[in-house]
Formats: sequence, C-alpha cells, structure tokens
Amino acid sequence: MGILVEFGAVYDPAINNAVLAFDASLGADLPAGVIETVPSFRSLLVRFDPLELAFQALEKHLQTLLSTRDWYTAPPPENRRHWVLPVVYGGKFGPDLAEVADLMGLNEDQVITSHAEHALTVAMLGFSPGLAYLGQMPKIWDFPRRTTINPRVPAGAILVAVRQTVLPATDIPTGWRQIGQTPFLSFDARAARPFLLSPGDEIRFEPVSQAAFAAFDQDNLLRESLQGTGA
Amino acid sequence: MSALGILSISPSACIQDQGRVGFLRYGVTSSGAMDMFALAEGQALLGNTPDAAAIEFAEFGGRFKATGPLAVATSGGVMALKLNDIPVGWRQVLALRVGDILDVGASIEGVYGYLHVAGGFQTERMLGARATHLRAGFGHVLAAGQMLQVGAPDRSVAINGLPRPDYFDRRHLRILWGPQSQYFDAAEREKFTMARFTISKMRDRMGIQINPDCGPIHAAAGLSIASDSINAGDIQVTGDGTPAILLADRGPSGGYPRIGTLVTADFGALAQIPTGESFTIEVIERAEAVVLLEKYRNKNKVLSASLRPMLRDPRDIGDLLAYNLISGVTTGASDDES
Repeated sequence: MGILVEFGAVYDPAINNAVLAFDASLGADLPAGVIETVPSFRSLLVRFDPLELAFQALEKHLQTLLSTRDWYTAPPPENRRHWVLPVVYGGKFGPDLAEVADLMGLNEDQVITSHAEHALTVAMLGFSPGLAYLGQMPKIWDFPRRTTINPRVPAGAILVAVRQTVLPATDIPTGWRQIGQTPFLSFDARAARPFLLSPGDEIRFEPVSQAAFAAFDQDNLLRESLQGTGA
Repeated sequence: MSALGILSISPSACIQDQGRVGFLRYGVTSSGAMDMFALAEGQALLGNTPDAAAIEFAEFGGRFKATGPLAVATSGGVMALKLNDIPVGWRQVLALRVGDILDVGASIEGVYGYLHVAGGFQTERMLGARATHLRAGFGHVLAAGQMLQVGAPDRSVAINGLPRPDYFDRRHLRILWGPQSQYFDAAEREKFTMARFTISKMRDRMGIQINPDCGPIHAAAGLSIASDSINAGDIQVTGDGTPAILLADRGPSGGYPRIGTLVTADFGALAQIPTGESFTIEVIERAEAVVLLEKYRNKNKVLSASLRPMLRDPRDIGDLLAYNLISGVTTGASDDES
C-alpha cells in the first residue's frame, strides 16, 4: 500500500526541492513498516506494509513531519553528492547539437557554454534503471522533444528538451535530443554500489575532448566524488 | 549440481521469483511472478525457500530434459503436461530421473503456468533477485540448448499435490480509489465503476489494457501533470480513454492520470483471466483492502498444510490414460448437449 505526498502538480524547482528535502528528513528516521520511499518531480510515494504499519499511524507521522517547516524553502539534503561529469558535446557524441542550436537561436559553442554553466539537480530517477531527470535549465532550453523516437541512444547520452537534461544509465529508445555524451556510467547491476546517482544530487557538466573521454577513469572520479560522504 | 536442459521453449517464458523490492527510487520496478500465489504453491510443493526462482510460461510451455535426478513441480494456470510422452497431472511434484523428458504444452486453464525445481533455478541474481526484466536489462532470454543450473534442495521432497485454487474463476476484481481519482469527475468514475471490462490482446508483463463496455473514460480536460511514481496495480488511462492495469514489468514513472489501483490480493486473479474474457470491478474501502491482504497472506502461509500425497506416483501407474489426471479435461466427448 502507498501514501502519496503531493507538493504540486507540475515540475518546478521549489516543488521538487520540497519533495527531496522531505524525503531526506523522512528517511533519517523511517518508521518500521515503510518498504521504500520514491521521490518524483512533484510528489513522494511512501510504500508501506499495512499489516506492519497502520495507514492512520503513517498518515499521522507524515502530517506531523510536514507541519514542522515550510518544505518549499528547505535547504537541499545535506548528504547529497556534487558531481562534475565530463561531456563530449557534438559530433557523433551529440548528433542533435546543431538542431538544438537552431531551436535556441544560438551557435553550438553558446549551447555548450549554456549547458555546462549551471549546476543541475537530479529531480528524480525513472523510465529505465538509473535514468536521471535533471533540472531545471533556463527558459531558452524550453523546446519540445522530437516527434519521432530514436530507437537507441547509449548510456551516458546527454539528452535535452523542455528545460531538462536526461541522463540515461542504460541504452534506451528516446524522443529527447542528444547533444553530448559522458563516459560516466551511473548504473552497474553487478557493482557493490549499483546506483551512483540519487534524487537530490547536484551535477555540473564539464566540456572535454574526445581524448579525455577515452582516458576517463571512473574509479578516480568516484574516489573524488564519494569521499567524505560516508558512501 | 543437477541441471534442467532446455530442448525447446516458448519465447515468452522467463525466470521469475518474488522480484526486486526497494529500487523504485532508482527507476527499477519489481518484476517477479505475475501470479505470486502460484509461485508460493511451487515453493510449498517442493519445500523451497520463498526466494527460489521458477520458469514462468505465458500460454505456451517448452520441452525439457533432466541431466540428473530432479524434483520438479508445476503450478499456476494449468497446462498440458507430459513426462516421457505420458500425460501427468498439474499442481503436483514429479520426481525426474536422468534423461527424463518433460513436455509443458499449451494452456488449458488460466494464462500463466510455472515450472519449479527443488533447490530453485540458479540464474544470476541481480539487485537481489533472479526475476527477468529484459527491457531493464535483468536476466536473459531462455532458449533451446541452455542448461538451467539447479540449487541443492534443502530436504527430500515427497510426491505431493495441491488442490486447484479458487481464484481462476474470479471475474470480479477489487480496486481502491487513488490520489488521482479526482482528476476524473463523478460521472466518469460512476461509468468506470459500472463497466464490464474485456481483457484485450494488448497484454504482457508490463500491463494489461482493459476495454470498458461503456466506451472511453476521460479525465478532466486540459489536464497536465508531471510524472510521478507508478505502483503495481495502478489503472492508467491514456489520452484515448482506454484504461490499462500496470503490473510487474511496468515503467517506474509516468504522467497519465490513474483512476484507481487494483488490490494486491487480486493481481493473480487478473493475470490468469484469458484474453477476450471480461470482468467487473468493485471499489472497496482501504480497511477492506487491508483485510483482503491479510487473508491473501494467510492463504500463502497455510499452503504447506494443504499438501496432499498423490495416491500413486504417475510413473508406477501402468495404464495412465485410463486416469483422469487433469481436472476438467475429458475424452472430448461431451455429455452436455443442452
């Protein structure tokens, strides 16, 4: 059974921030009987076993926590990680870069600068294992997805549309536009730590050369990014 | 270690277990058996642990060869079953010897049938489960020529059977209103509640499209909600007004409005309704859903107490064809001409 805590109907950074902050606070002292919590753009799904934890008891717990503060202005979760991920933009790594530049009325270099300029927040993971929805980007990024589906983009593709970046962790079909690719792979089912990105994490993209892409050492990045987080 | 060799198999067959729990926040839905009660039947018959994996068949089975002594059992929707070309009964334990050939044929009753082995199939465990979810990259396609390794059984297995469960006849499913029910106005909800739904051909492990006899169901106009998490059993209504019940291999999130949620206790009953057959729904209160869940779990728990010894090992019966081993299957001559 589940209780859905809704903070809004749309994707808005303040609404998503409330979801993420509330989830972190709830997770710090999770009531027994809660199976998992699932943050999304605008809501938190709290799945629980109603034979272990009564609906009313959980509802009261959630209401009490909700009333402790204004979650829309809450600081982001303390334990979130900050990633700097290398990206090769354009060419075979970003076949839709020219099209995106046209849509934005910019040249390709300006698109790259704009994309790498702002840190983005992992608003939620969904669609496929480890796929991250990142946002929110400036209004000039508010153009639609393609009307056709690209049958396959690789894991690590940098996909953009509707003021969001999508970072898939596996090869997927997609209608989003691919402007680049990162060698960083956030999901490995066989690894001790299968998922590297969590909702709430912050990501900044760093334009790199193809040579740097080829020489990318994920273990090195993880040593730097995960130190001090207790992860 | 013994193994079961695959001589041929339906492309829709796959390894399933209880599924993966706790990864929805990372975009991974549970997968697992479409009929969890049938999975539990197999564990009870063979004395397996609850996490043991079985082969799930959808309407068609396969042909298998034992490379060592194996205790196997079948459960779920009834399928035509033969051991070394001799028909044998469903929902019971069979002791296979080296070289024995087991044929799982087409569905006779229900949709999803299961083949279990004592010790469970030892395919790779990913994120804590062996459940296949190909679209998400978990597990593999079963194919002729593969050998499925089998774990060491915990104890010796008696030749037991289980009675036919009653949910195969269920054509009345229970749902709860959900957080998005109010996106459908009272008239639409009423229409939805009174409708009879036909199971469409658009069905698989992701979900089942159900066609209401009242025509399309529509959410409030101009509705635009951002995606959020989808629970198993959620009834999503797409733009054309057709509802679909989302199940084990569903996508983890979506933005189509969900009118309600099927209760967990009825997942197996839904999964086993043949394509083209219809059912009605009843909206129940949350407290009643909790009671149903408790009853459902208790039924799972007492399965081992329902085991009954098969009077004779099918192998020892000289003239098997004289026995009516599969309930509901007759010689084909009909006594009922009315």
